[in-house]
Amino acid sequence: MLVKKPINILIAEDDEDDKLLIIKAFQRTLPKENVICVADGEALLQYLNRIAPFDQVESYPLPDIILLDLNMPRKDGRTALAEIKSHDNFKKIPVIIFTTSNHKDDIEVTYKMGSNSYITKPGSFEGLVKVAKEIENYWSKTVMLPV
Amino acid sequence: MRNKFPNSGNSQLFENSNSSMNRIKLYAVISLILIIVGSGISYWTSERIGFYTTALMETQDILQRTSELYASILERETNIRGYALTADSKFLTNYQQSLLDAESLLNKLKDLTKNNPEQQKNLDELEELINYRVETFKITIEYVEEHGDLVGFVNPSRVRNALSGYRTIKEVVKNIESEENRLFVEKNRSLLNNINALPFIVGLISLFSISVGFVTLLSIFHYNKVQKIASNRIKNYQDQLREQLYQLDDSNKELEQFAYVASHDLQEPLRKITAFSDLLKEQYSEILEGEGALYLDRITVASNRMRRLITDLLEYSRAGRITSEEEKEVDLNQIAENVLDDLEIAVHEKKAIIEIKELPTVLGKETEYRQVFQNLISNALKFSKPNEIPQVKVTCREATKNEVDNLKQLDPDLDYHKIEVEDNGIGFDSNYADKIFAIFQRLHGKEAYEGTGIGLSITKKIIEKNDGTIYAISEPGQGSKFIILLPVIKTLE
Repeated sequence: MLVKKPINILIAEDDEDDKLLIIKAFQRTLPKENVICVADGEALLQYLNRIAPFDQVESYPLPDIILLDLNMPRKDGRTALAEIKSHDNFKKIPVIIFTTSNHKDDIEVTYKMGSNSYITKPGSFEGLVKVAKEIENYWSKTVMLPV
Repeated sequence: MRNKFPNSGNSQLFENSNSSMNRIKLYAVISLILIIVGSGISYWTSERIGFYTTALMETQDILQRTSELYASILERETNIRGYALTADSKFLTNYQQSLLDAESLLNKLKDLTKNNPEQQKNLDELEELINYRVETFKITIEYVEEHGDLVGFVNPSRVRNALSGYRTIKEVVKNIESEENRLFVEKNRSLLNNINALPFIVGLISLFSISVGFVTLLSIFHYNKVQKIASNRIKNYQDQLREQLYQLDDSNKELEQFAYVASHDLQEPLRKITAFSDLLKEQYSEILEGEGALYLDRITVASNRMRRLITDLLEYSRAGRITSEEEKEVDLNQIAENVLDDLEIAVHEKKAIIEIKELPTVLGKETEYRQVFQNLISNALKFSKPNEIPQVKVTCREATKNEVDNLKQLDPDLDYHKIEVEDNGIGFDSNYADKIFAIFQRLHGKEAYEGTGIGLSITKKIIEKNDGTIYAISEPGQGSKFIILLPVIKTLE
């Protein structure tokens, strides 16, 4: 039986509390080093492009999936999404919008821009753990990802 | 928002403008009448002038012919005298012709004066005298032809005769001439009168017309001024209206912003409180002592309720607002059916009997009416008596004129459907019949019946937005009845 490597997930989240909760939730299904977090859209693209402070290839591997908050300072989720989806190399990486907004315009627009999923942040920590499990399960076991 | 439109000044302005317009019309009509009357009088006067001119010419003609006639009579006298003295027939060369000429002149004169009996009489007399003279001439000529001269013929009586006859002709001619002269003077005076009157009449009418025209012009200026003021005012109102529309648009945007803030920013800390409480409970419940665990539960329950309130408030603020969903004719039978599908589990659990009669088609948005029926039917199920099978009956009929008149919120000129949702539940005190529609208003403790108390206020908001009204009738323990009145869709006739 083929033992699959656990997926790398890159989270863009500006809120310290949320960051803490999301990392905690994902660490229940993934090894610590596979859950990476950046503060906003700007940092996300710096990471992907390996611009300082993310210029060491070894410590900052390209993620298998990206979890993107919509409302962030500097560069928001929509702009970051547009840049990722227009980049030859990065556009193959699945992007999951992970936000508090359930506004139908946000849903419509981000799917049109090429996002792969849209998840509203659950209210409870239990809910968050459940979502983390589902994400991990779906993207690492159910579907095939580009290598 | 305060209404800034001053109405009274506006209508007065339009009245002014209307009365100026009426005045202008009146002046125009007066001008027209004056011009028509003036033209009539001028025409009549010029006709009179024409008539008198012709009459004068006729009189001159008569005078002319009379003097011609008199001249021909004199000529004949001279010729006869010459013939009588000389017996030379050369004197008689034109005699016959002159007789014919005299006759035709006389006839012509009779014809010309046929309307004047005085002249007719004169002319008859003249004719008689001429004939008598002609007779005398005839005898004279015969005598000369017979005797070679007239010496034996002349006697004092004949001379007297001839003289008197001649004198009388002269007198008659004079009479005719003086009569015609009199007429000439008379007609001439009339002609002059008319000629003199004409400029006066024309002048007077022109003066009137000019005055009326001037007044009309003034009125038009005034009217234009009033119109200009009115249109300026209308423009001002339009500007004000546009300004208010912008304000309304702004406040709508602010409301949207508020809704977004409520859904996003206010929820955020709550979510975290819940999440960290969960984490705390999960990881440290074993070391929490005494009432520590209970307090933690309280925190979770309170924050959940807070979240629910925020969500509901948001939903209320969104209800009845302009959305992308189009207003159309909504078949309430279809809506009720869908709602029953959604409530299937609750209906099944409570073994409820729900009876829905024929419902109308009304104007509005599907999702909103769905919310209305969802709220009313689920309320009926929620507030059912614990040991009785819940029964819900939804019926509809046309509202009577009286029913519509009694509800101030409704337009008495429209027809309404009266939809009733009746249950056999716990009911409520009729003193609270209005209170139950207020936001977050609850009649029962939240431990007994869950919910924030937003459903009926959303329902009311939706019904009122669709120009209808809703009220409730109930007695404790007697079930309750919710009555909705919605306008009948107007069909084009």
